Amino acid sequence: MIWVETLINGALLGGLYALLGIGLALVFGVMRVVNIAHGEFMVLSAFCAVLLANLCPSVPPLLMLIPVIALSFAVGWIYQAVIVNRVIKSPDPLAPLLLTFGVSVILRNVMVEVFGADVRSLQVGELSRASLEIAGLNIGIMPLLTLVLAALLFMALQLILRHTEFGRIVRATADRRDIVRLSGVKPDRVYNYVMGLSLALGAIGGVLLAVRSSFTPFSGAERLLIAFEVVVLGGLGSFWGALLGGIALGMAQLIGLKIDPNAGLLYAHLLFFIMLLIRPSGLVSSKG
Amino acid sequence: MPTRTILAASGLVLAAVIAGAPFVLNEGILRLATECLLLLTMAQMWNLLAGYAGLVSLGHQVFIAFGAYALFLTSGWLEVTPIWVLPVAPVVAAVVAAIIAVPLFRLREAYFSIAMWVFAEIIGAFTMKSQAVGGTSGLPLPTSKLIDFDWFEPTMFWLAGALTLGTIAALYKLMISSFGLGLMSVRDNDLAAMSVGVDVRHNRFVAFVLSAAGCGLAGALSFMGNLYIAPLAAFDVNWSVYMMFIVIIGGIGTLEGPILGVIIFFGLRELMTGPLGLSGGWYLVGLGVIAVIVMMVAPRGIWPALRDRLGIRLLDVQRTSPRPAVVLPSASQQIAG
Repeated sequence: MIWVETLINGALLGGLYALLGIGLALVFGVMRVVNIAHGEFMVLSAFCAVLLANLCPSVPPLLMLIPVIALSFAVGWIYQAVIVNRVIKSPDPLAPLLLTFGVSVILRNVMVEVFGADVRSLQVGELSRASLEIAGLNIGIMPLLTLVLAALLFMALQLILRHTEFGRIVRATADRRDIVRLSGVKPDRVYNYVMGLSLALGAIGGVLLAVRSSFTPFSGAERLLIAFEVVVLGGLGSFWGALLGGIALGMAQLIGLKIDPNAGLLYAHLLFFIMLLIRPSGLVSSKG
Repeated sequence: MPTRTILAASGLVLAAVIAGAPFVLNEGILRLATECLLLLTMAQMWNLLAGYAGLVSLGHQVFIAFGAYALFLTSGWLEVTPIWVLPVAPVVAAVVAAIIAVPLFRLREAYFSIAMWVFAEIIGAFTMKSQAVGGTSGLPLPTSKLIDFDWFEPTMFWLAGALTLGTIAALYKLMISSFGLGLMSVRDNDLAAMSVGVDVRHNRFVAFVLSAAGCGLAGALSFMGNLYIAPLAAFDVNWSVYMMFIVIIGGIGTLEGPILGVIIFFGLRELMTGPLGLSGGWYLVGLGVIAVIVMMVAPRGIWPALRDRLGIRLLDVQRTSPRPAVVLPSASQQIAG
């Protein structure tokens, strides 16, 4: 019974991990850039939520998600417009990778100096401890809500990309950035919105993860690796694949923690690496 | 060739300077110089992989750690002075690289970079769990009592100096050989390189293994100088950050770039943490800002931009194409670009 509970909790944690991955996948799918600073931006949004929650103690902390998402969208838009767009046209595929890595180092150390290296978390009071009992299993409300939210967000994102004009423009830009210009689309502008959306999604994941577990300015690397593993395991371009990848990683982590209490993310990393060994072709398959 | 003679002469002068330096410099400066030289070697190794083979590794700290742990453990088992077991470090790092290359080389670009990082995290986590290698608290150098401490700092400096000069000379030799030409052709256009028969996979594999071996040796020397190794220091992602920033700022894909990069790296560090009294965090922020600006303004780094402006050629391995009889404007542009 305890194992079933572990598996279910792992699946619920996976919903959160999928949220971490989806922003990274979106940016990669559209502009072929792995934004190494994604994890640091998530931690930054968690810091913002904690700061806001301390400023207005009467407001429920989870409502802070709304201003944080808006802020993250703006930050993403500016980040893309000012920094990333400048190297995206470079013929060297390594340039955006190195640039975003540089940005992640800057952000991490600014956060260390400004917020200090202490361990923090976002307190949501009763909600974080509340749980449902279904057929003898204890299931936390907060993780359940997170998984539902992740599924809803994925559906919304899919609908937007499939059926709206914005979605069509984004997909067209992802396919042929040179050709969409003929229809009057400015790829750089599209990229700005996509990065904004990506960081807004990252902010949701970052804040919810800050509720679940504590974080420090150094947590960005961990979050980036999880996000990346989710994307690679799930296969690129597939939102539902990302959800599955997240669930697999969440289960691996919680089963690992049951066997070996101080394993941290080791078993999630191992699962990723073993998958890399046994089915590499599926892993690197990409959307056209 | 006169350039070769000049290079050989300046190499000899540098070797003489390195040999004599410990008799002039005090211990603090000597330690700093050793650190500079080791980091320069690591940066050159990272540059070999990123600048010439087109593979960006964000997990190169794993080879530093493998080299260092190999030295500490073997020295303890054999109970000999650590200097004599130094060759173990590059061998272990190279073997690990050769094995890990098999799955990793199926991945491209960013996938390779991050998978390397995940690999480093996994090995780091196992190291912290394994009591045989000291767990989270790490290991002191078991044979430190065999070291002659009167000559320890100078010896470390000489070893680091020899390693650096040797690395640069070897890389220069490598880059003017057909292997180097093959590597550079792959970097510039892998499709065209393959069509003239360059074995891309093999070249990348050799560059990867060499780069790991160099980092293993430099890492072993670095931790030998500390007489202590702990997993958090050995598997620190900042090793990759330093190597990358030095290469990016100085000039990726050139042999001189990392030298300039190391000068800026340490100059900025001594300035910011010394007279300006700022913390290490702000120093990394400053370095990151410089790196990001360089990437946006001069994507190939400072050295290539300077070289083109001043027309200086030092360790240049660039070949000039044979001049065509009539140079059309468009053709000359292509050659320049």
